[in-house]
Amino acid sequence: MAAADASSVAVAAGPRFHSVLSLARSSLDIVIPSATLMSIVFACFCLPALTSLPSPVAGRVLESNLPLFSPGHFLGTDLNGNDSLSRLVHGGRVSIQIAFAVNLIGLVLGGTVGALSGYLGRFVDALIMRVLDVFIAFPSLVLVLAVAQGGGGGIANTIWSLSLFSVPAFARVARAATLRIREQPFVDAAVLSGAGAGRIVFRHLVPNIAPQLIIFGLLGIGIVIVIEGGLSFLGFGVQAPQPSWGNMIAQGQQLFLSNPSLVLLPSGMLFLVVLSCNLLGDALRTRWNIA
Amino acid sequence: MTKPELTPIVERRDVPWRSWAGGLSSALSAVILGLVLRRFATAVPVALGVSVLTFWILNLLPGNAAWSLLGTDATAADAAQLEAKLGLDLPATERYLQWLRGLLSGDLGKSLASGRPVTNLIAERLAVTAELAGLAVLLATVCAVGMALLAARTPLADRVGAIVSMVGISLPNYVLAIVLVLGLAVHARILPSIGFVPIQESPWGNIKSLILPVSALAFPLFSICSRFLRGDLAEQMEREGYILTAKAKGVGPWSVLVRHALRNSLAGLVTIVGLNLGPLIGGAVVIEQIFALPGIGRLLLQAINIRDVVVVQGIVLVIALITVSATLCVDLLYLALDPRIGRGRR
Repeated sequence: MAAADASSVAVAAGPRFHSVLSLARSSLDIVIPSATLMSIVFACFCLPALTSLPSPVAGRVLESNLPLFSPGHFLGTDLNGNDSLSRLVHGGRVSIQIAFAVNLIGLVLGGTVGALSGYLGRFVDALIMRVLDVFIAFPSLVLVLAVAQGGGGGIANTIWSLSLFSVPAFARVARAATLRIREQPFVDAAVLSGAGAGRIVFRHLVPNIAPQLIIFGLLGIGIVIVIEGGLSFLGFGVQAPQPSWGNMIAQGQQLFLSNPSLVLLPSGMLFLVVLSCNLLGDALRTRWNIA
Repeated sequence: MTKPELTPIVERRDVPWRSWAGGLSSALSAVILGLVLRRFATAVPVALGVSVLTFWILNLLPGNAAWSLLGTDATAADAAQLEAKLGLDLPATERYLQWLRGLLSGDLGKSLASGRPVTNLIAERLAVTAELAGLAVLLATVCAVGMALLAARTPLADRVGAIVSMVGISLPNYVLAIVLVLGLAVHARILPSIGFVPIQESPWGNIKSLILPVSALAFPLFSICSRFLRGDLAEQMEREGYILTAKAKGVGPWSVLVRHALRNSLAGLVTIVGLNLGPLIGGAVVIEQIFALPGIGRLLLQAINIRDVVVVQGIVLVIALITVSATLCVDLLYLALDPRIGRGRR
């Protein structure tokens, strides 16, 4: 984080007499996607507590397939009479939780393995890279399907199965970044002052590769949300009646001609979150000047 | 390249077209042989690890193929009888070793559900998946090259291209597929929505049935490729000395772009395509399911659902081998596009 903070401070201090407004205008590419992301996260996690949304699974068949803006159901209802807004919000909560957990596991485990592999080099590095190559080359969805089905669906199983692929991906990024940092003089200085491998990796290397890992994590959140949606869409991830954007799209297909909003709303949310993550990742990359 | 005295700067990968045509010399073929051997040496442990992992996971879960086949109202006695018939009563390690022995003689075993040899099941369906994925890669790369070249010449195309590729990267292929099906097939009735027509039956019907699935599969790859290519071309046009040299000696703007800049970017493009082959095959599984195409992706989903371990393992192995071979092809293509790699080892 140190490098990240340092560079953002440097950027902010650039124009000496700036107003908050001009700073905001000059960094619209960061403000807009992060505001979008924050409002979606806020809606998904706080809306059910703040307002009296109906439960996402307590619909009555009598009220099934209501159009948008029906009284009591702002975004209408689905095939089973469940409130669409409530399902959208609860489904988003599941997707975001899974994406966050998977990337956190990848960041911590993969980041550590990658940094150690890059720093230690030689035999350890070669061994770890061979193992990672296996996972990178393998079509991830296939194995994830088998693992998710194996555990019988559910949030926890989906998280573990997707982590099989976030860990190696993070490890590769961390290793590449470490290789670039390792040659710098301050690492030699640390070695000369008698620091051990663990101290060098965690106190000197990790803070320097953090910005790159954070950007990769942002892109990773988008990727995981897409894969999780695909799993649930195929019926292997989050199981109905519990909502998730993926299984809402799959279910809404049946009623597309009479009520396209059942497909378009969760699709649109999915697209918006992934787009915001990608745009934010790109903007931060430019801002922090990372290749 | 007609006046050699004017092109002293040979930076990056700027080489004349002809230099690699006769480049498959003995030194280069040794490099190629080494590459092939190394790839397959890594492929064996990869395939073994993947098969052990799949087998272990599928056996860890409660229930098995016997229970799935008999349905919910089966008695324990029925299930035990079927388990014995299918060989599921043996310990897991023994079943795995049995499967491995069969594999060494080229036999992938028999499906637990239908009793048919897995090799036949896969062979029947591999062509569909190969056609789908192959056409998608072709469509994506050709369109990406066209788009990137246009973007490098006209600012408007650059803007549009940037937006299109950002949308493509952020749009899941299953969402795109559904929108395409419901918009173009169900609503407008221009194209068939689902189903597959074999090419032997009707070549035109085959193409028509594949237009939507191939587009849905190709769009994300196209976006990634055109984004990369656009950036790479722009960087070369601004920074590289040989571009300046070419311009200075009077080469036309399109010619500079295609013969000098694009030629250098192609090696990078091949790498990007190679890195995205895994996700592409994963995407094909979803696309086949949506469009009801009889490829190995659908076979895999059906097999996972009824816990047909033997079929799942066969498919996973075949996909792993395809991925490794595809990576090998990428490496070889790279060698052809960037002669320095082969020469450096002489």
